[in-house]
Amino acid sequence: MSPSASAAAPHIFGIRHHGPGSAQSLRKALEAMRPDILLVEGPPDAAEVLPLLAHPQMQPPVALLIYVPETPNLSVYYPFAIFSPEWQAIHYGLTSNIPVRFMDLPQAHQLAEAVQEARRRASQEEPPEAMPEEAQAQAPEQAEEPAATDDGQGEADPQPLPPDFQFPVPDPRADPLGFLAQAAGYSDGERWWEHMVEQRQNSAGVFEAILEAMTAARAEIPPLDDTAEARHEAQREAFMRKTIRQAQKEGFERIAVVCGAWHAPALADMPPAKDDNELLKGLPRTKVQATWIPWTYDRISSYSGYGAGVESPGWYHHLFTSALANHTPTEVAIHWMTRVARLLRSEGLDASSAHVIEAVRLAEALAALRDCPLPGLPEMNEAALGVFCFDTDLPLRLVHRQLIVGNVLGAVPDETPMVPLQQDLSREQKRLRLPPTSDWKDYDLDLRKPTDLERSHLLHRLLLLGVEWGTLQRSGGGKGTFHELWRVQWQPELAVRLIEAGRWGNTILAAATARTCDEATRADLSALGNLIEQVLLAHLPDAVPYITQCLENQAALTSDVVQMMRTLPGLANVLRYGDVRKTDTTAVGHVVNGLVVRICIGLPGACSSLNDEAAAAMFKLLVATNDVITMLQHPEHLAQWQAVLTQLANQQGMHGMIAGRCVRLLLDQRVFDHDEAARRMGLSLSLANEPAYAAAWIEGFIRGSGALLVHDTTLWQVLDGWVTALAGDTFTQILPLLRRTFATFEAPERRSLGERVRRGEARGVSPRPGMGTPSDLDEERARAVLPLVADLLGLPRPEV
Amino acid sequence: MTTLLREHAEQQFAEELAVLTEVDARSRPPSWKLSPWAVMTYLMGGKLDNGFTVSPKYIGNRRLIEIAIATLATDRALLLLGVPGTAKSWVSEHLAAAISGDSTMLVQGTAGTSEEAIRYGWNYARLLAEGPSPAALVPSPIMRAMEGGGIARLEELTRVPADVQDTLITVLSEKTLPIPELNSEMQARKGFNLIATANDRDRGVNDLSSALKRRFNTVVLPLPASAEEEVEIVRRRVESLGRMLELPAEPPALEEIRRVVQIFRELREGVTADGKTKLKSPSSTLSTAEAISVVNNGLSLAAHFGDGRMQSHDVASGLTGAVVKDPVQDRVVWLEYLETVVKERKGWKDLYRACREVV
Repeated sequence: MSPSASAAAPHIFGIRHHGPGSAQSLRKALEAMRPDILLVEGPPDAAEVLPLLAHPQMQPPVALLIYVPETPNLSVYYPFAIFSPEWQAIHYGLTSNIPVRFMDLPQAHQLAEAVQEARRRASQEEPPEAMPEEAQAQAPEQAEEPAATDDGQGEADPQPLPPDFQFPVPDPRADPLGFLAQAAGYSDGERWWEHMVEQRQNSAGVFEAILEAMTAARAEIPPLDDTAEARHEAQREAFMRKTIRQAQKEGFERIAVVCGAWHAPALADMPPAKDDNELLKGLPRTKVQATWIPWTYDRISSYSGYGAGVESPGWYHHLFTSALANHTPTEVAIHWMTRVARLLRSEGLDASSAHVIEAVRLAEALAALRDCPLPGLPEMNEAALGVFCFDTDLPLRLVHRQLIVGNVLGAVPDETPMVPLQQDLSREQKRLRLPPTSDWKDYDLDLRKPTDLERSHLLHRLLLLGVEWGTLQRSGGGKGTFHELWRVQWQPELAVRLIEAGRWGNTILAAATARTCDEATRADLSALGNLIEQVLLAHLPDAVPYITQCLENQAALTSDVVQMMRTLPGLANVLRYGDVRKTDTTAVGHVVNGLVVRICIGLPGACSSLNDEAAAAMFKLLVATNDVITMLQHPEHLAQWQAVLTQLANQQGMHGMIAGRCVRLLLDQRVFDHDEAARRMGLSLSLANEPAYAAAWIEGFIRGSGALLVHDTTLWQVLDGWVTALAGDTFTQILPLLRRTFATFEAPERRSLGERVRRGEARGVSPRPGMGTPSDLDEERARAVLPLVADLLGLPRPEV
Repeated sequence: MTTLLREHAEQQFAEELAVLTEVDARSRPPSWKLSPWAVMTYLMGGKLDNGFTVSPKYIGNRRLIEIAIATLATDRALLLLGVPGTAKSWVSEHLAAAISGDSTMLVQGTAGTSEEAIRYGWNYARLLAEGPSPAALVPSPIMRAMEGGGIARLEELTRVPADVQDTLITVLSEKTLPIPELNSEMQARKGFNLIATANDRDRGVNDLSSALKRRFNTVVLPLPASAEEEVEIVRRRVESLGRMLELPAEPPALEEIRRVVQIFRELREGVTADGKTKLKSPSSTLSTAEAISVVNNGLSLAAHFGDGRMQSHDVASGLTGAVVKDPVQDRVVWLEYLETVVKERKGWKDLYRACREVV
């Protein structure tokens, strides 16, 4: 029992984390009770920054961040929204000038275990067997999710889930009130709360009822199987009781205790202080720091992987503001549906007031059919789906993103302590001797030097985080590919961006990785291709597999062959440089394989009926893709690619430029021999084809390199024959095209081709009889000249 | 024993409806034969307190049927949308049977459906003999439903020409059918409502005007949720069809059906069954009904031209035909699927080769 009989018994308010109903009732109850001290479930480590909560610049949603300064990756976030009961309680306490204390087990202890585990891992090779049994069972979980407490105040990687409007049965520990609500037949814990409060008309009574209900529930629900977890819970509750005893000792008389409903019975019934002190003995300890960072509703919702968060912060916000305005249940539904309608209208969808009326009626009818007195969010969603959406659920996804989750971003006061990300940056700046200055400064980074390489990584990572400290002037250039020229200038607003980026992680590396992965989920194929190159430049090895996965999904879905061809070279680079940077490239290899197969299947379709402009673009892609495929040296791909090229070369109605280049590529890869190439060239240049087509074919065939013509007389003759056979005005028409083609040759090649023409070599050995012979030649008269010519040459006279 | 080829729902399940009426003590909307709860039990099946078992009529998401029933209890009309073969008409028939005990007030929507079919026609002999009178009027099923406060059904709403569709607007918003010839009108009794069905795959036939759209709550009936469920539906159906057509072939191995259903589901959902690889979806519907026809087709090929056992080459042509409806786009999708998924799957080599021969 209580240590001293005279001590004031605390008032215990069991609440629902992030429950707007509890928040509302709690505030009222506190105002009625007028406590002289307030104890709130939360990390005592944050005592210093706690007063900032009532700062006028503080705008929820925000999160309290507790982290280990040396290893900022070990951290815990405690998100707060305007509708969080803890927020309302602390705000009340601070504004009415009474002491407010957090009373949970300090993160200094909880994180210390994670620190120990990290150290153990670092020296894992040496004594793997020496670990005590219990620590082994507990440690891995602690390290991955430093404080996955039953309140879910832990943060996992953002893993977007498909929007799912079903409310799962809540875990009784995480959301005991939701659990009770479901037992009472409500789809939504909040509506149950609201209903209960309304019927009772007396907020204070509610908390007594909750205490009773929870005492019963705790007796029903079996204890945790995992001894480590059970011990952890016992320690936390012991510390809470310890804090209460402390307050009693200090002589406070009206003690208000705000804690998760689950813990309420454990705090009401005080065991001897000795037992609690026994439990808390010898806990490890580490140095931690606390600060506030801006948060978003997006991240409070479980939608972004926040374990036991709330599914619908926007909906809760609506409930909370409705409660402030004293709306009746039907009004809540009407206001909500009106917001839905206005949102849909702003997106150009049909949503009239008549729709709103019908939707509210349907929601109420649905609730009645399900024996619920009030429509909850599921009923609202289903009614909206039936009334507004016609045959698609896309509008509802919009509603989910914009209203149910909401896109609110919080703000913190200027005097908030630095976030670890800022500290990490200043550490890096010192280490790499890259001081932030308000004047710009140019750096010429030689990527072969380790420091310069790391500087480049840092600047690229900051770019990915949206902190444009450095701008890349040019890379490579005259001095080779291992140079990067940066202009670096620090601006005050970059600090704000850095604070905003704080929600992505606590080190530049972690934050850049998280942010990039998030971006990847929304990017299209070519954006992903760019992203993966940036990721390589910024050296974010952990982001590569994720982006690769996204790429694979996008590649499968897109039917745009051009986009796939554009993405391929970047990926091939990853494959080529991956070995140097020691990233795992098997996944990338798989994507590349998939892309090549898809390009080969889709290319004939993508190349049909191209105009000149499109053909020129396709030409470039064709060359680039060919380079990649020949570079990769994958026999199966090569065979497939050559089959496609042959098909393109044979395809009727193909643009000349593409057909010509295909023949050329096949010639280069020795699939066609010279005779075959010459035959095809002859066919393309034959009179049946339009001269414009023939000129395009030639352009496609020889563009970029004239050496082939210099050395291959057969091809030269075919070309020469075609040019000489052109009629005068056609020749004038074709000339610019040919000129353009020949302009791409190197000067020496052009010269040697020109000399060849001047020598008239081609005509002398013309394989075609009669070529270059005008048909209107008068044989009689010509024969008359022959004797004189023979005389001049000193030959015997021919017989006439 | 009945000699009818097919009985109406209220005839076939008369016993279930009678027992439900007996035990149903909940409040009923005006003119409803059963309470919404009892209608729900009739549709989804269940065991009653007196031990009587109601067979499930619709196997699928319970919440959808709840929305449908709640809609009919308000005064908005219900529009059931879905690809062919998702039990739209089936659900509509059973809803009408359970709510008003009569599923026969039915208008079949076609391109030739006229306004008379929705409003009323005339008995011309009488009209000529006696002039316009209520006796010469031939009411449409919808008019009859209005008169009796029952549920009317309109099948394939999007096939009805747009101007005829709009006749429904007055009926659905004013709950009145004007009869200008007699200078009177028909006012619907409480309980009247309309269930329309429409096919959302061949969209754009006659899209609903937004004025009409507004009078409907929409429930989209999905394709079967799990592969097992779908395999079961296909198997039952193929076996009963095979019996009816007296095919001499052995009933197909479950393996082959499973493969066909898997291919259909993967292409339809655009992702492989293991959830690892995304795929393009073809333009074809790939409904369960088509899977049934592919298997059935393979079965008859095997029976008449093969050794009686359905093999991969027996289904290959049917599969290709079902998937490739657009010769250009779908062919690319199908080839990609064959090359990236079927080729690499263990034990599917035979199917890969058979399909490649056909494409």
